[in-house]
Amino acid sequence: MKYRREASLLILVAVLSLLATLFDGSFVRDNTLDILINSIPTMIISCGVMLVIITGEIDISVGSLLGLLAAILALLCSTVSPGLGIHPYLAIPIVLTIGTLIGLGTGCLVVYGRVPSIIATLGLLIALDGAQDWLMGGGDIKHFPQQLRNLGTGTKLPINLIFTILVVVATGLLCRKTALGRRIYAVGSNRSAARLAGISEAKIKLFVFALTGLLTAMAATLWVAKLGNVSTSTGAGLELKVVTCVVVGGIAIRGGRGRLLGVVLAVILITMIRTVLNFMDLGSEAVKWQRAIEGVMILVAVTSDHFSQRQQSGGSS
Amino acid sequence: MNRTPDPIITIESVSKSYGGVEALSEICVDILPGEVHGLCGENGAGKSTLIKCLTGVIPPETGKITVDGTPLRHGDIHAAELAGIAVIYQESTAFLDLDLVDNLFVGREIKKFGWLDRRAMEKRALAVMQRLDFTLDLHTPLREFSIAQRQMVEMARACLRDCRLLIMDEPTASLSSRETKTLLGLVTQLRAAGVSVLYVSHRLEEIFQLCDRVTVFRDGKLVATTPIEQLNRDQLIGQMVGREVDVLTRHKEHTERTDKIRAKITGLCSRGRFSKISFEVRSGEILGIGGLVGAGRSELARAIFGVDRYDDGEIQIDGITLKKGSIQSAIEAGIAMVPEDRQHQGLILPMSVSENLSLTILAELTKYRLLHHDREAERVQSLMQHLAVKAANAKMEAASLSGGNQQKVVLGKWLATKPKLLILDEPTRGVDVAAKAEIHRLIRDLTEAGMATLIMTSDLPELITLSDRIEVMCEGEIAGQLEGGTATEEQVMRLAFPRGEAQRT
Repeated sequence: MKYRREASLLILVAVLSLLATLFDGSFVRDNTLDILINSIPTMIISCGVMLVIITGEIDISVGSLLGLLAAILALLCSTVSPGLGIHPYLAIPIVLTIGTLIGLGTGCLVVYGRVPSIIATLGLLIALDGAQDWLMGGGDIKHFPQQLRNLGTGTKLPINLIFTILVVVATGLLCRKTALGRRIYAVGSNRSAARLAGISEAKIKLFVFALTGLLTAMAATLWVAKLGNVSTSTGAGLELKVVTCVVVGGIAIRGGRGRLLGVVLAVILITMIRTVLNFMDLGSEAVKWQRAIEGVMILVAVTSDHFSQRQQSGGSS
Repeated sequence: MNRTPDPIITIESVSKSYGGVEALSEICVDILPGEVHGLCGENGAGKSTLIKCLTGVIPPETGKITVDGTPLRHGDIHAAELAGIAVIYQESTAFLDLDLVDNLFVGREIKKFGWLDRRAMEKRALAVMQRLDFTLDLHTPLREFSIAQRQMVEMARACLRDCRLLIMDEPTASLSSRETKTLLGLVTQLRAAGVSVLYVSHRLEEIFQLCDRVTVFRDGKLVATTPIEQLNRDQLIGQMVGREVDVLTRHKEHTERTDKIRAKITGLCSRGRFSKISFEVRSGEILGIGGLVGAGRSELARAIFGVDRYDDGEIQIDGITLKKGSIQSAIEAGIAMVPEDRQHQGLILPMSVSENLSLTILAELTKYRLLHHDREAERVQSLMQHLAVKAANAKMEAASLSGGNQQKVVLGKWLATKPKLLILDEPTRGVDVAAKAEIHRLIRDLTEAGMATLIMTSDLPELITLSDRIEVMCEGEIAGQLEGGTATEEQVMRLAFPRGEAQRT
């Protein structure tokens, strides 16, 4: 069955909702919007990382990158020292540009420097984290202009959620309806055949890394806008959450296979687990549970992937 | 073979189906000790499935297989190995990063006090190579060997394992004539030593030269097992396709060869690969490149298509000089290439037939940056019809097609670009007789319509009947020219072998 992964994720979401409803009849009504809003950074970045993984590479630097970009935005916008108090509409494009350039740089390291992406982005993960600490100088940064906060809290409409939906739709269109999307899958499935078909592997990979940088910058902006606070630990660990969602969503870690729909469902599911566990009021126990459950889910997802591939390879003569 | 000894392997009414399609239906075959048993049939006839049943890769659904009267445990690779069934696969299954010794003994290492006894293994490796009459360096990773050499290693590995039945699946598909000869000699030697060989091949000359009996499958069913003396070529083909076909139709009466030079190669050199290659291909002409494996044909094809860089020389298409080492500029200039290895280079196996076919023309199918799915479906449909691709629908994975149909998809993908120069590297390797004839017909039709075609092939009848002119390469250089159609296989081989060796052949 083609949509097996998506179906089982949906069932898990349904089961979890049901469970929560047993605790409180109005759980779904009260929390759906919250869960969606909480999933925003992961959702946006997963769209990029998914494409990177489809090409057969990986990017695990996005957590630090988000942290660094959030710190830069905070320093540019904050109205209190050491903030520069620059207008957000000027600061945001700057941050988006920096994010894209760093993504592009990562791509160059992988494509031209021939550094395996896991190593390159592992290095960046640490380096960018260091840069974030250095920039922040230890303390939290707060006090942002209202124009920026509006993007995160919204006046009436949840602007950040609408924006996220736009990103998801655009990514879906990219995958299914553009030549570029087709080529991204082609490069990940069989790079030498793709090359012989005249597809430039370098261009494709540079694009997906740069796009991931841009999307991370967008996520950073919405993050700062929503929380109104940036600390040295902002973004920490996010890369693992993103990779988890992408893999649980059914993207083959070797590239070439998988669909956006699965990733979207996985992001919602994993955000939901957190909310439901918080909601069930297990106290400090909840945090421990959550990690264990997330871990088991990765294992289940990855092994089921392995088994379904084995089934296929037993095919006809 | 007048008196029949007891068979060593008996296959009794074995059946196997995949998703409702019967790949094997009630197959009964027995293999006698010390016989070379040919197994023929078009791709998809069930040969590979039978091999998988014999080697325990998959269990048959009904029936049984007995070795020396003892039933073989179904679906148990280890049991099959212990019973003495070894297989040399079409595509080498070697460990490319391990060296020759490691490859020979992997899974059956010789140990001393629990540690690997490399010296003993090296000794046995040398002995077995001597027996098979070849020498290769023991400590070179297999990746650095040619496909032919890797196959020799696989044969040596089988010999080391005291096998009773050696299954060879298209072993010569990627070998040159000389290597084929060595390999066939080797098979004869094995037979003399009492080893039975199940020999699967599309090359009928080899079947007639080598086999004692031939079993033919068609659509998963047994057609017949016949002693080779009672068959001629046409009858055997008849059994395979269910009708008598004229496989290698004589070449067309020369179509008017236009004088328009499509492709001009001047003084192309690439160190260690080939040198001083010059020729022209005209519109409406098929130029064949013959030669042994390793003569530099594939390398030449790759250089012309911009896959590899070259050191010196020039390639012109319709008078315009190409950029070195750029596939994109080769494609823009109107070159297309069907590569040697269709599974790894030609196709993207997990993608659908449709996605594979449209991969080269995505730009054409895009409007306002979005793919035009209806137009894509239309183009794909017309390509599939034109090429007579046999697939349930265009959404099928390319991996599930038979070899012949896969090759048609690769061809179709490039025909979609309406190339000026089509390069074909071993276009019918591992392709069944009927599909081969269709591919030949397509190549001719397209060339007559004004395309220039460059074909590299080890299949001598194909080279001679298909080409208008032939350039024979030897050790990276052009050794001579022949006229297509009138050249003989001997003439080609005489040019293909390095000087000194030619006298002996």
